[in-house]
Amino acid sequence: MMTASEQVEKLYVERGKRARELRKKGKKIIGYFCCFVPDEIITAFDMVPYRIQGSQSEPIDQADAYIEPMACPFARSSFNLALKGRYDFLDGFVAPHSCDTIERMYHIWLHNKPSSFNHLINVPHMLGSGSTSFYRSELAYFIKSLEDWSGRKLDPDRLKDAVRLYNRRRALLRELYELRKTDPPQVSGTEITRVLVAGMGIPAEEHIALLERYMKEIKVRPVPKADKLPRIFIWGNEIDDIAFINLVEESGAQVVMDDLCTGTRFFWDDVPETKDPLDGIAARYLNIHCPRSNVPQMETREKDLGNRYGYIGQFVKDWGADGAIFYIVRYCDTCELEGPDLREYLNSMNIPVLMVEDDYSTSTIGQLRTRVQAFLEMLG
Amino acid sequence: MSGTHRYYAGLDMGSASIKAAVLSGHRLIASEIVASGGKYSDTARKIMGGVLAKAGISEDRLDGMIITGLGAESAPFDAPQVSDISCHAMGCHCLFPSTRTVIDIGGQFTKVARITPQGRIADFLMSEKCATGSGRFLQVIARILQVKLEDIGPLSMTSKHPVEFSTNCAVFAESETVSRIAEGAKAADILAGVHHAMAAKVAMLLKRVKMEPDVVLTGGGGEDEGLALAIGDALSLKILVPDKPRLTAAFGAAYLAREQHFRSHENHSD
Repeated sequence: MMTASEQVEKLYVERGKRARELRKKGKKIIGYFCCFVPDEIITAFDMVPYRIQGSQSEPIDQADAYIEPMACPFARSSFNLALKGRYDFLDGFVAPHSCDTIERMYHIWLHNKPSSFNHLINVPHMLGSGSTSFYRSELAYFIKSLEDWSGRKLDPDRLKDAVRLYNRRRALLRELYELRKTDPPQVSGTEITRVLVAGMGIPAEEHIALLERYMKEIKVRPVPKADKLPRIFIWGNEIDDIAFINLVEESGAQVVMDDLCTGTRFFWDDVPETKDPLDGIAARYLNIHCPRSNVPQMETREKDLGNRYGYIGQFVKDWGADGAIFYIVRYCDTCELEGPDLREYLNSMNIPVLMVEDDYSTSTIGQLRTRVQAFLEMLG
Repeated sequence: MSGTHRYYAGLDMGSASIKAAVLSGHRLIASEIVASGGKYSDTARKIMGGVLAKAGISEDRLDGMIITGLGAESAPFDAPQVSDISCHAMGCHCLFPSTRTVIDIGGQFTKVARITPQGRIADFLMSEKCATGSGRFLQVIARILQVKLEDIGPLSMTSKHPVEFSTNCAVFAESETVSRIAEGAKAADILAGVHHAMAAKVAMLLKRVKMEPDVVLTGGGGEDEGLALAIGDALSLKILVPDKPRLTAAFGAAYLAREQHFRSHENHSD
């Protein structure tokens, strides 16, 4: 039998393979973008949620015939894979209005590569109770269209089960992140990225079983001596390839914590187990920390920054980060415009920040080496 | 006496040229600059051979060496690597102890760094993959104008009416240059205009890194007197430039090698 680490590596490399297998057995696979689409709803319909990714190691060679090259390279790369038939195993395609690129991508994708089921979820930008009830009705509408398409009614008890299932996975991932608090961390940032990406295309119960085995393997590894290397907190959007985090770690640092779409942002907070499960789901999913959303303004600058980034401050403190790297996939307006305020907040905690903008391509990683090296020399 | 001296080398493998420096104690005794060419490792071996011959020592006499620059990975020597930003910082600090901000205009990127009184990086920024802020921009324009690189500075300083570029993009600026030539603009005015555009870009980076005087300009850009003046004008202060600006990182690297040697051999001196 393969070790859990080997299985993680296999899932990380052979993306979509498990979903294709399940589809052959009659499962419906629902592809979606971003952190706003509740896995619980799809799972409660006995379908498999599949987080759509791009490929940093493949050139975007087809998508530019349909969309402008100055759009988000993550979205273009994902669409590029779809055009090449690599997402033909998806029975459904769901896009939330997370950012304008993803929202428009829905229409372009739908027009050029329609799935059997297609749905756009409207996500309000300003957070607050009115928005949560709006989002709740958007999710009810999403459920309704899945019901119409599948010809099956959603069983609320199945939805409650799904909430518990995903909370179990969240708890395990948080437990895994606990192992990053030591010096050196028991599990590297590169390894964490692999485990997270591996779990994005398989059913939750399979990821849970994998995580349990994986964690056992990690805990029996020999404990290395403290290395005193700089500890890095990483913030940004989609990092579904190990290349950049690996570069940081190879340059002599430990990546110990993150706030990324592919990291804590998608799993950190539990869904509260409410009487009507949709209440808890709507509240939890709307309030993920995507920089495209706005919280109501506070009266002073200091309070406002604290209100927006307090959770990051806590991450940085609890995981003992010495510096922060903003890794932003090019043309992500939301991240680029959020960067300066977050920098100010972190600098006020004496956390230096390195901001890098990248092309969502492993070929550019080498050019970032100098920047990362200089930043680590500055921290060291 | 040479038997008791300690020697340190710095090798800076840049995108446009490879630079080497040898120190005896804290004194620069030999240096060399060669175009990088197509094979960095061959050029690096050649330049190290040359600089050691100039210094009159063999490689095994070196007590320390540090390699830096974009091409450091392909260096054929077993020596530690340090980022060129740290090396520029240390180089400027040694040449001008009052340095608090460093601008390095190289062939590929422009980097700005605020540094501590000890010559360490306090904060830094790099121009993104954009030629406007780098030496490449000047090279492109000089080629169109058929002006030699070393003539850019003096020629630009004769300009009375610098051309104003409407774009900040080197690619568009190239076609804009062609249009301006067609309209009859003088080479001097075009070059002065390029300097202004670059200076504006650099000034923006400096603002973001919270510049403090003194400001030192290094890298190939430092050899262009017109550019140094334009940046000084944009910031309303005098920019300091080393004698051999392109050598700064190699010199800083050699100095860092010396520091490292001191750290690992506490009782040693030069």
